Amino acid sequence: MEPDKDNANPTILNASDLPSRRRESSVKQREDGGTGLFDHLIPHYNYLSDPFERPVSASDSDDDSVEDIDEQEIYDLISSISDPEHPLSLGSLAVVNLPDIRILPPSSPHSTISTVVVEITPTITHCSLATVIGLGVRVRLEQALPPRFRVDVRIKKGTHSTDEAVNKQLGDKERVAAALENGTLMGVLRKMLSTCE
Amino acid sequence: MPPPQNASVITIQPLATLSPPCSSRTWQSTPHPTLPVIATACSDRTVRVYSLTSFTLLHSITGGHKRSIRAVSWKPGVKGQSVLATGSFDASAGIWRRDERGLAEDTQRERAGDWDGDEEGEDDDYQFSCILDGHESEIKSLSWSPSGQYLATCSRDKSVWIWEELEDDNFETIAVLQEHEGDVKCVAWHPEEDLLASASYDDTVRLYKEDADDWVQVAMIDGHKKTVWWVEFEGSEMSARDFRAHREGLSEQRAHHVEQLERSGPRLATSSDDCSVRIWRRKPREGSAQTSSRLGMPNIIRSVAIDEEWFQETILPQQHERAIYSLSWSRRSGMIASAGSDGKILVYKERWKNVMPNGVKADGTVDHSDSDAMEGVENASLTEWVVVAELFSAHDVFEINHVCWAKRSDKGRRSEDEEVIVSTGDDGEVKVWVLEER
Repeated sequence: MEPDKDNANPTILNASDLPSRRRESSVKQREDGGTGLFDHLIPHYNYLSDPFERPVSASDSDDDSVEDIDEQEIYDLISSISDPEHPLSLGSLAVVNLPDIRILPPSSPHSTISTVVVEITPTITHCSLATVIGLGVRVRLEQALPPRFRVDVRIKKGTHSTDEAVNKQLGDKERVAAALENGTLMGVLRKMLSTCE
Repeated sequence: MPPPQNASVITIQPLATLSPPCSSRTWQSTPHPTLPVIATACSDRTVRVYSLTSFTLLHSITGGHKRSIRAVSWKPGVKGQSVLATGSFDASAGIWRRDERGLAEDTQRERAGDWDGDEEGEDDDYQFSCILDGHESEIKSLSWSPSGQYLATCSRDKSVWIWEELEDDNFETIAVLQEHEGDVKCVAWHPEEDLLASASYDDTVRLYKEDADDWVQVAMIDGHKKTVWWVEFEGSEMSARDFRAHREGLSEQRAHHVEQLERSGPRLATSSDDCSVRIWRRKPREGSAQTSSRLGMPNIIRSVAIDEEWFQETILPQQHERAIYSLSWSRRSGMIASAGSDGKILVYKERWKNVMPNGVKADGTVDHSDSDAMEGVENASLTEWVVVAELFSAHDVFEINHVCWAKRSDKGRRSEDEEVIVSTGDDGEVKVWVLEER
């Protein structure tokens, strides 16, 4: 193990113990999904440029119905993200855990906006990479989920020494947008997300 | 006209979507101070200037910034040309100019509906004028002072800079204010005084004034529980235009309230990640102190002379469910519009609080008993803000980054001073809305 790692001996879960429905994810990948995700540094919404590809009002399309996306699917999207300092997935390091993922339905019948809340558990309480991991989870979900989902990524309470400060950063869309225009940081994120299908 | 008792009397109806839209996130749209055009700051590193007459794109300003353009501000009071300042995530601000001497002709052609940008030569475009370097990280907001003398910029580097244009394209930094403990999200100028406000990631708002050649913090507003995204002053002399304009038959208490508000001057509105919009008011100075500062008499003891006390007047009805990124205080009606992450647009109106049913003259005793619980001598409970319009999903499922009032300029305009609401979203669209009485 390299000595400069924050946590040189993390606990690793066996892949067969990870939560799974034992089937392929039915979340449809967008055209900008996968490894070509960050060809453009600025987040953009491909599907909007083609109104016929995904009609706004269509309620019969697969990724438009509320029932279609559940916690397991969110887990599948983010558990395969690689840890920035270990060649392991966030799922196997128990950084993301199925019970810490919640989907909140629209709060009003007039609204179609659902909220995904993901609480991440850094491997150690002072892990300096918690912000980067959180950013990776937020970016992954914002790119993979339909835009009607708001993504709130937080550090699980009590698992990190500066969780409030990290949560504030992860919740600030302007900071996240600016971070995505930062080449160095994008390099790290690109590597983390390269293991996502 | 008596204030409406039913809160939901107005609907927000779509008028137009500015065309063509941007293919990525748009951050802010600012109406020109005199012309029927609006500039939109886009994450694709461009500014799009649209017509508010035809709702079509007139100009694309490209090639200046290396990262997202976050904010745009028109310099007020310029004759013969338009001057636009742009603030970018690349940490720089840009100044752009366009000759408007052929304006009358342009406007006529626009109105006739046969605008054709292709016929125009390059001279017609916005020309890059100069770049303002100094901030260490992303510029989040920028704003010209009402006189056009100063430009304020703010950044993630926690600082607010004030620039003064000595002559064309020669800007001097006259202040670097480093009071905030976090990113500075928004800057705004008082409409009558050289008083600057800034809102921050540190959950506070700070106010600054010049004191003997030095810009200093004169007040700190601490009340929001999370990031303050937007700060904006009320328009000048609004008590002559909004619900306060009707003075006949006002109770003594209400008349006193109006007088106190006028002594305070324009109020301040803020919106926050804590899902609230708050109104702040300056405590009027006692007699002579106020007079001397108004007359610009030199003040020897700084702390007495220049510090201001701002207090929270009220919190607007809380109907947003996520961060409120922006609000706009109408210079014509005094109404406030707000929008944010939940994709809603809300419009609020202030009115006299009527404890008694409409038509019964509310006398002092009724209002007084109601205000016993209020702290301080300022009787904020004499008025109330009500939501008069609420629109869900204004940009489909997308977040709204900015909302503002603009003068209506299309053919359908119903009166000289009719206003529209302009919203700017993550979907890259800028939408124009009209208010319809129900």
